Amino acid sequence: MDLLTVKHVTKQYAGHKALDDVSLSIPQGSVYGLLGPNGAGKTTLIRIINRITAPDSGQVFLGDREIAPEDIRRIGYLPEERGLYKKMKVGEQAVFFARLKGLSRRDAIARLKVWFRKFGIEGWWDKKVEELSKGMAQKIQFIVTVLHEPELLIFDEPFSGFDPINANLLKEEILALRDKGATIIFSTHNMSSVEEICDHISLINKSQNILSGNVDEIRRRHGSNLFEVQFRGEEEPLRERLAGRCEILESPESESAYRSLRLRVGQDADIRAVIAATNEAVELRSFREIIPSMNDIFIRAVNGTL
Amino acid sequence: MSNVSIIIGREFNERVRKKSFIITTLLMPVLMLALMVAPALIMQFSGGDEKRIAVIDESGRIAPLLTDDDELRFETTDLPADAARKVLTDRFAILCIGGDILDNPSNVKLYVNGSSSLTVESNIEKQIEKIIEEEKLRSYDIENLQQILDDVKTSVTVQTFRNDKSQEEDSQAQSSLVAMGLGYILGFVLYMFLLIYGAMVMQSVIEEKNSRVLEVMVSSVRPFDLMLGKILGVASVAVVQILVWGILVVGVGGVVLPHLMPEEVMAGAQAMQQGIPDAAASVDMNPEVMQAVAAITDLGYVVKIFACLVLFLLGGYLLYSAMFAAVGSAVDNVQDAQQLQLPITIPVILALLMMLAVIKDPNSQLAFWFSLVPFTSPVVMMARIPYDIPMWEILLSLALLYATFIGMVWLAAKIYRVGIFMYGKKPTFKELAKWIRYKY
Repeated sequence: MDLLTVKHVTKQYAGHKALDDVSLSIPQGSVYGLLGPNGAGKTTLIRIINRITAPDSGQVFLGDREIAPEDIRRIGYLPEERGLYKKMKVGEQAVFFARLKGLSRRDAIARLKVWFRKFGIEGWWDKKVEELSKGMAQKIQFIVTVLHEPELLIFDEPFSGFDPINANLLKEEILALRDKGATIIFSTHNMSSVEEICDHISLINKSQNILSGNVDEIRRRHGSNLFEVQFRGEEEPLRERLAGRCEILESPESESAYRSLRLRVGQDADIRAVIAATNEAVELRSFREIIPSMNDIFIRAVNGTL
Repeated sequence: MSNVSIIIGREFNERVRKKSFIITTLLMPVLMLALMVAPALIMQFSGGDEKRIAVIDESGRIAPLLTDDDELRFETTDLPADAARKVLTDRFAILCIGGDILDNPSNVKLYVNGSSSLTVESNIEKQIEKIIEEEKLRSYDIENLQQILDDVKTSVTVQTFRNDKSQEEDSQAQSSLVAMGLGYILGFVLYMFLLIYGAMVMQSVIEEKNSRVLEVMVSSVRPFDLMLGKILGVASVAVVQILVWGILVVGVGGVVLPHLMPEEVMAGAQAMQQGIPDAAASVDMNPEVMQAVAAITDLGYVVKIFACLVLFLLGGYLLYSAMFAAVGSAVDNVQDAQQLQLPITIPVILALLMMLAVIKDPNSQLAFWFSLVPFTSPVVMMARIPYDIPMWEILLSLALLYATFIGMVWLAAKIYRVGIFMYGKKPTFKELAKWIRYKY
């Protein structure tokens, strides 16, 4: 079932179109990557979902009905530009934001204590935000975003400014939130994090949704039928055996103890026959399809060479 | 609890807990008092450096009668003028009075070592004039001259009453001077509040925009609620401040002052409050001073003025702060705000100028109209209120003010809503007008 559905949303700003007939559906309980180069319209789309701005045409559905003002309490939004009141104390500020999201003061404090302990930052409660480093403030911001346990979480570049250890901590928390049933929209340029945590993606480029779907499926779909074979033995017999069945490419320098070759197999070729032939010629150690990284797909899609 | 009240709470707590707020709230009345007392004190002490003036009196009739005061000391010298001018250079000045001074009063020369001073000149002129006048009067050989002169001396003070009100039971002597002073202070307090607290709203909007707190906020609060919460939050701070001051004034005026004042002054002031000016007149005291005492110790009068002050202050503040909030949302820093602030500061300054004119003639057409126009009414009307103007004018002015405020908030919210997401470029007025028409 889809938690959030965006239908034919168009948004025109003076001079340029920020979104042009964008549609996407975000399955319940998934981590949904919203990808795209700078200025593609991601932030506008997020703002429309958040009801910060309204689309010129098109609709946004939360569950099975159109999103309404009171629904914003069901959403937690971590904007790319982080903002906290510098002069305010950390604890007070977190309580303030939690109350704006509809939590009572008592609930807010109780939940904050849990999160502060989890992140090991109990000692920060009475510190002013201006005393914290950027990464520390990001943690507070993250807690504030998820504290009211919304069904839909929107993270805009959540890992920027984090060291690898804290980024990992954050990633685990995000996945834990998903496991508890939250649906997560994840806007980023960082493709390796997409492969690690996103189930689905949409790629927005020049105000249009040019690619969406399940991450694994997209990667498979855009595989270029490239395989890598690792073997022990002479290369020549293998080349002879495979001649005519597939195209043989030189393999990039390999660190591995085995020899390797890359094969480009035709669209309709019989992979099992290729494997069988290889097996007869050399001592086969591994045979795997080279699936393009999201990074490659992203670059090729944006450049229009997909 | 609604979001607006949560935001009001935050704005209020953040500001009231600041040390600077506590200090200004407590020190401002002291400062104001000091500002009023300081000139008098300075005058008192500035006479400290004594000026010695050598006097060469060829007539011999003036010098003995010149009297020293705090500032000037006259010393007769026998040196001739030329020699004195050469030798007595350590004196402040050398005063040469001609022998024919009685017939030719302009034959007085003052040689000053250094720059002269107007007060010294006028002091000497007055003394010599008086001496010559008395000399001349004496030459008429009138009997009992001194007695006659004392008897002739008169000083008139007009006591003003409202005829249209004195038919009713609470008639009270009312001094234009007291009303003018009070009106001036009230008008000025309002002017300061509009600018200071309005700018506070603007600054705080700019800060939120710069620190990108707004990005976080708008995902949980409607921009309109956010703006309203901020305006009302700062307003609550202003009200607290004015209440503290009000309590101080009422406390000092109504409770402490009666004990400090001499008994007969209080008796006179009370008589005046009760509408028995004759009884008041029997007290040997300047009626103006007594009316002032009567006014500030009359609780009813003080409370009425205070209520008006709070209402106009709030209305004026709300109107102006909405505009300030819109400007703040449109810019990235305070410097950029300068130009966009013009449509705000011009009416405020106009109001201040109008107040200065209105205070001299509170019932003129000019006064009437400017105290109805919402942008100037808070300052101008406040300056008129001590004059006891008709209630309907006050109510009409308040109604117009609050109606305009609602319209202005609606307009400002539209600019605010667009402005908070616009970074970088400083918008022009044309663009602001375009933002108002944006659809959301």
